[in-house]
Amino acid sequence: MSEQTRPLLEMRGVSKSFPGVKALDRVDLQVYPGEVLALVGENGAGKSTLMKILSGVHRMDEGEIYLEGKAVSLPDPLSSQKAGISIIYQELNTLNNLSIAENIFIGREPIAKNGLVDRQRQHREARALLDEVKLPLDTQTLTGKLSTAQKQMVEVAKALSFNAKLIIMDEPTSSLTNAETRTLFDIVRRLKARGVAIVFITHRMVEIFQIADRVAVLRDGQMAATMHARDTTEADIISAMVGREIGDLYVKEVAPLGEVALEVQGLSTKNRLHDVSFYVRSGEILGFAGLVGAGRSEVMRAVFGIDPRQSGTILVRGKKAAIRKTGDALRYGIGFVPEDRKEQALILDMTVKKNMSLAALDRVSRGWFIDRLRESRLAEKFVSLLRVRTPSLEQRVKNLSGGNQQKVVIAKWMANEPLILILDEPTRGIDVGAKKEIHKLMSDLARQGVAIVLVSSELPEVIGMSDRIVVMHEGRVKGSFDRRGVTQEEIMQMAVS
Amino acid sequence: MSQLAVRRDLKRRLSKFTRDYAIVVAIFLLMIIFTIASDYFLTYRNIRNIFMQTASLAIVCIGQAMIVTTGEFDLSLGQNVCVTSAVMAYLIKFAGFNPWIAILCAIGVGALVGLSNGVLIAYAGIPCFIVTLGFQMIARGAAKIITNASPIPAMPDEIKFIGRGFIGGNEYGVPISVLIMLALFLFFAFIMQRTKFGRSLYAIGGNKEAAYFAGINVKGHRAITYTIAGLLCGVSAVVLVTRLDSAALTNGNLYEFDAMISCILGGISLAGGRGKIIQALFGAIFLMLFFNGMTMLNVNPFVQDVLKGVVMIGAVALDVVRNRRR
Repeated sequence: MSEQTRPLLEMRGVSKSFPGVKALDRVDLQVYPGEVLALVGENGAGKSTLMKILSGVHRMDEGEIYLEGKAVSLPDPLSSQKAGISIIYQELNTLNNLSIAENIFIGREPIAKNGLVDRQRQHREARALLDEVKLPLDTQTLTGKLSTAQKQMVEVAKALSFNAKLIIMDEPTSSLTNAETRTLFDIVRRLKARGVAIVFITHRMVEIFQIADRVAVLRDGQMAATMHARDTTEADIISAMVGREIGDLYVKEVAPLGEVALEVQGLSTKNRLHDVSFYVRSGEILGFAGLVGAGRSEVMRAVFGIDPRQSGTILVRGKKAAIRKTGDALRYGIGFVPEDRKEQALILDMTVKKNMSLAALDRVSRGWFIDRLRESRLAEKFVSLLRVRTPSLEQRVKNLSGGNQQKVVIAKWMANEPLILILDEPTRGIDVGAKKEIHKLMSDLARQGVAIVLVSSELPEVIGMSDRIVVMHEGRVKGSFDRRGVTQEEIMQMAVS
Repeated sequence: MSQLAVRRDLKRRLSKFTRDYAIVVAIFLLMIIFTIASDYFLTYRNIRNIFMQTASLAIVCIGQAMIVTTGEFDLSLGQNVCVTSAVMAYLIKFAGFNPWIAILCAIGVGALVGLSNGVLIAYAGIPCFIVTLGFQMIARGAAKIITNASPIPAMPDEIKFIGRGFIGGNEYGVPISVLIMLALFLFFAFIMQRTKFGRSLYAIGGNKEAAYFAGINVKGHRAITYTIAGLLCGVSAVVLVTRLDSAALTNGNLYEFDAMISCILGGISLAGGRGKIIQALFGAIFLMLFFNGMTMLNVNPFVQDVLKGVVMIGAVALDVVRNRRR
């Protein structure tokens, strides 16, 4: 890659407004053939808008786009595909009820002379594509049976079948294990060698330095900086993203530890968990590390009364707790921020206020009746305490950015004043600023005596925030560490074997 | 607030109101058209008649709207009205029950049918379409068995006032059935907007999983909602039997669909989680006005059925288009 070559893609002065927001403001961007460009920026910085303009989902208000020197217009997804641009979304678009081959060729199946789909040719071509992305699976396999990483490979194979010259990947590693990420990176490098340009959207700094040639930073809809990855540092990128220097990401203060708030003994569920035991004290943050699929979320679901338990005892403040449904867990003072914000935590059509009070309706009600004044006061309190950026309490949460949505979820559980708060991937997919605020919040809660269980796939987060760390592997607790002195390598070692 | 801001706020509220209550505007338009077309339409007596005819359907609409709020629907409501009508009339005429006891029994049977629906749907996990369609047939069959497929006429005088009586004289009085309907609407609107129960139904309709994660007893709430809807079918039957002075197999016929159409016309989202039950009342009023006016203009009743379908699809189309523009 060199700057002398003509850019594959050039965007000049691209602007896009939505009612009330200028999402993109005269953005210039060049992508060169055979390079990996990391596109970073806080949530709401304009990354997805930029991507959606390239994929033909949104139309820009002004600006020009050139592909290999020629001006192009991308009015719809089809013309974008034809122009050689492929997008792999974070929420993968695979049709789980169809086979791998059918997914790759959906809508453009090879047709035999008799007018029917030429299934043999379809599978033959799919086979060749799968070989290219090193996915050793039968092309007839139902996509629904694949792991997230494998589905991503299928999407990459699909992109290749279009002869894509530019592949945009939206946070492709956010739900991958480390091994899977390595495989993905191998493929990215191979694509790169073939001259394909990759735009890689990510929140993870480490990955930028592992894979990217250049970094483009968006901030508030403007291109804040573009730099060569080898000449830059994590601190440079972060300060370009937030426009200010930011201190340590992990705001962990030492809080005095109290009595054991939650203790789980010998927890097992059908086929998933085997004899899981752990405890957490008031004021303590207990981290749960492990690979995706190690059973960490399942432990939390079982404790909270979502999945049935086969055996095991749950003790809250030393007393046996009979938790059979979520309502029971609430009564014992347990709060649970689940991993999937939109599916499990929020009523997207409801307002900020109503979402915040949902788990604490008893606290804002007199008997059966909701006291609307108390409800508003509660929501006001948390909107200002957590600095939720929302135009009003009556805003529907679906209109908020990811970080602010997550704050609403956390507020919902804080409103119930829990003794024990379980947080499952609380900072996944949210921007650095909001992430830091949420870490600060966790520290504050611990200092107030809340016992916190933190499940996270980001090892630096687990290490940075936890007092103690439990490592899980295939449904079992493998061991635990004291926070001080433990390295990522030690934890990973335990998590993989 | 500056004057501009006040005006903008007013405009926003007005646009929200017309969006949520487009049906009210439609009712006015319909009334203007029929008033011009027919001399008799805009008389107190006719409007009062329309409201009396609306009462029994509108009471069923309350239950349907609550179920629709949770994201489901109930196809058994119409035949529930039918079987409870039959139970009430049978107990009075052939079992010698005190009419008031018979009324309580009818309402109880309605609630029982609703509870059975609710338990099978919420706890056994059978889809609402199957369960309520099944109970539609069960209730219809039971009504046939009870009435032997012939109407049971002539209710005792002491209860006739429920469907036929007026407060303030027969000439210009207000129908008691309409007052019952309004009272029920106010009561359940209050339940939906101001209580934990109502809020939970909205949460369930918005996202069942998130509602459960927030500690709401999702199954219990769903079962109770069907029970309430069934109970209201019993009330509707009492109003209907006393107005018609007869329990026949035609009682409540197609109420489940008319109630669903009322919800849709009123602007309640079938996807659940959005809308207010009072909108279903306006939807029901619109529907009854529409048929009254058509009949008055001597429109062929078969054509009326066709128009009913057109109006329903039109209302949803309008809503879809409006949502897309936003």
